[in-house]
Amino acid sequence: MNLFAYIADRWDRLSLQALLHVSEVVQSTVIAAIAGVLIGVAVYRSPIGSAVATALASTILTIPSFALLGLLIPVFGLGATPTVIALVLYALLPITRNTIVGLAGVDPAVTDAAKGIGMNRLGVLTRVELRLAWPAILAGMRVATQMLMGIAVIAAYAKGPGLGGEVFSGLTRAGSANATNQALAGTLGVVVLALLLEGVYFLIARLTVSRGIRG
Amino acid sequence: MTTTTDVTGFSTESGSRRADRMRLFAQPAAVVVIVGLVLAWAFSRDNDEIEAQSIQAGVLLTKTWEHLVITAVVAAMVVGIAVPLGMLLTRTWARPAAPAFIGIANIGQAAPVLGVLVLFFLWTEWEGLWAAALPIAFYSLLPVLRNTITGIESVDPALVDAGRGIGMSSSGVLLRIELPLAIPLILAGLRTSLVLAVGTATLAFFVNGGGLGELIDTGYKLNRVPVLVVGAVLAVGLALLVDWIGAVLEEYLGPKGLS
Amino acid sequence: MADNDNVSGVEIQLDHVTKRYSGSREPAVKDVTMTIPAGKIVILVGPSGCGKTTTMRMINRLIEPTSGTITIGGEDALRLNADELRRKIGYAIQQAGLFPHFTVAQNIAVVPGLLGWDRKRIEQRVDEMMDLVGLDPAQFRTRYPRQLSGGQQQRVGVARALAADPPVLLMDEPFGAVDPITRGNLQDELLRLQTDLRKTIVFVTHDFDEAVKLGDKIAVLGEASTIMQYDTPEAILANPANDTVAGFVGAGASLKQLTLLRVRDVNYNDDALTAVSEDTSPAQLRSRMTEAGKTYALVLDGRRRPQRWVHVRDLSTAASLAAVGRPVGDLVSTQSTLQDALEAILAEGGNAVVTGTRGEYVGTIDIRTVTDTIQQIREEHETGSAAS
Repeated sequence: MNLFAYIADRWDRLSLQALLHVSEVVQSTVIAAIAGVLIGVAVYRSPIGSAVATALASTILTIPSFALLGLLIPVFGLGATPTVIALVLYALLPITRNTIVGLAGVDPAVTDAAKGIGMNRLGVLTRVELRLAWPAILAGMRVATQMLMGIAVIAAYAKGPGLGGEVFSGLTRAGSANATNQALAGTLGVVVLALLLEGVYFLIARLTVSRGIRG
Repeated sequence: MTTTTDVTGFSTESGSRRADRMRLFAQPAAVVVIVGLVLAWAFSRDNDEIEAQSIQAGVLLTKTWEHLVITAVVAAMVVGIAVPLGMLLTRTWARPAAPAFIGIANIGQAAPVLGVLVLFFLWTEWEGLWAAALPIAFYSLLPVLRNTITGIESVDPALVDAGRGIGMSSSGVLLRIELPLAIPLILAGLRTSLVLAVGTATLAFFVNGGGLGELIDTGYKLNRVPVLVVGAVLAVGLALLVDWIGAVLEEYLGPKGLS
Repeated sequence: MADNDNVSGVEIQLDHVTKRYSGSREPAVKDVTMTIPAGKIVILVGPSGCGKTTTMRMINRLIEPTSGTITIGGEDALRLNADELRRKIGYAIQQAGLFPHFTVAQNIAVVPGLLGWDRKRIEQRVDEMMDLVGLDPAQFRTRYPRQLSGGQQQRVGVARALAADPPVLLMDEPFGAVDPITRGNLQDELLRLQTDLRKTIVFVTHDFDEAVKLGDKIAVLGEASTIMQYDTPEAILANPANDTVAGFVGAGASLKQLTLLRVRDVNYNDDALTAVSEDTSPAQLRSRMTEAGKTYALVLDGRRRPQRWVHVRDLSTAASLAAVGRPVGDLVSTQSTLQDALEAILAEGGNAVVTGTRGEYVGTIDIRTVTDTIQQIREEHETGSAAS
């Protein structure tokens, strides 16, 4: 059976797994974005705070994903929970770092002007600073999403949902008729989904980044 | 000489430079403490027969060694392929080919590494070190390749002109001017590649390549948490150490005289 | 000329040299023919984009000419290996182009290294070159370029260009990126070096004042490097070939001429009444002044350096010459340009004291001398061009 026949044959299951894969990655990215932006907002005014947050987040990124997953299994068991925790942790670095860089990069003259026309602290943050830092934050989310697409495959080891299951079945059934097709379908599926998400990010940037600061 | 600046001076740095400095000192210390504590716990607790089979110095050393060998082989391949390739692709005549190679390396990194590893195994039916190292190298290639190209291309054209103008051959300019000036960026790329390599080496056991992932797998399959934890903590410690080595290389291997 | 014997430069000939880039209809450099005499500084000056840099870069073949020939010291440059050719041609560019990861010494040593000199000779040469451009080797040898000021970097750039003692030096706006005061110093330095070295220097600039100051000859270039006028600075200032050149020369051509002439070249006065303070009493000087019918005298110190101007009536009450009168203000040396002299004259309000190489009194100069000189030059060049 060639790859296309295989995909057509298993379309129902593959499409469900693809959906789950995207869904867990997107959900984790959103959670990490909320946490990352909050952390960024909390620390960006303090150089030490920024350094600590960046250092911690990049340390997490250094940890092999398989090892982190292993450490999460005894605590959270198998399935979606350890997967989402691992994914959120990995997504934190790019988002936090970009939030800090984006917020720190806002021209002080602009925030000064905003205060000058009577905006309060929260107003300046939400209506000026975060708006201007948004392209950087979005870029961080995009990087995080791309990374999570691959890590989510490994998470199938802890019985996490998604296309990783296909890759693992392919591996365990090595030598049997459809092993390669299965692993290939899983791998290519992830690549295709990653490309689709890339397109989605492009659209989001188009729609949400103020035309005044679009590069 | 009012314009003279102190080379060793510590100046106000951006958050991330400061973060790098912080990690340079804190990271190895944290690794030693955490790994030490976990090993002390694992060796002092009352291990059953299955646990004791894995939690013994010989096994741990062998697995760590295998892990390091994979990482080193990958790093050597990455440097050996990506740096010369990057140098080649910055030559005027080869420049049109650069996007194609960057594209291939991009696919290598964007594709899920486990998928690449498994597919390579299924196609070649190889097992062991090379079955793991080759796909991991393909996956880790991009940062060094991209940074080599960017590093060489960002060298001030006036310096290349000066080099040629005083009679250096084009290969002389490449080796003595462009490459040394690109080294800081290449090292930054190498550090990223090293982290990718040491991390993905935990997956090598899937193709019988050994490494610390094997301990994690054993602990998980046989439901022995101590084995799993020791494997995972060693893998984390090793990754942090390799990253630290990358940071030290970045700090001290770059050419002198730059900022 | 008598000083021709120690010329180390060689003649450069450009013969119908053209550069045409593929894809553009008009050539960047069109049919340039010129002779750059040995041991002279020739300035290529013109508006930006006129092809002056392209012309210069064809001499060391950083750009290959499309047609035409270039000979350097009688050798056909286009037949030599380009890299080897360049090792025999010094090259200095804007912002020095120093290699930031090489120390000052390593930068200067590059070309001798390429030529395969032995270590000892290179080391010696590096120190020699640093001395030549006024950088203390002990202090600067191991510095990196970014630890130097812009002016110091340029000096190292010149030292690097001269390290292998090339007969020809190409300089592409080498002083373009430094502040005006430093630029002035570097220009003076280059002239000082050139009096000893006598290289053939091709110097590209868009600054006409720089051209006038440095050039033995100036080539004023127009579009596609066409030579509008190629002559000495004096001749171009006195008699621009056409309106474009005149426009480029700009206003104040007469004032610029003053920068070309040195005090030693004009007839300054040497009839001021002088007295050495240590061995003349005020009474003695007073009687000498009445005798000569002068109201002012110049008091010198033991080494005949000018100290003070005294009026005859200051002397009646003075006990010694050491403290009477008014201190001498701005001095000019015989090396100074007439422009400096004019400034000193205006500042002093009458005439300025001229000193020799050791700072000793040699005469005075006044505004008459300056105006007479300008007049004289103008007449010379007008009759000269009428004859040709």
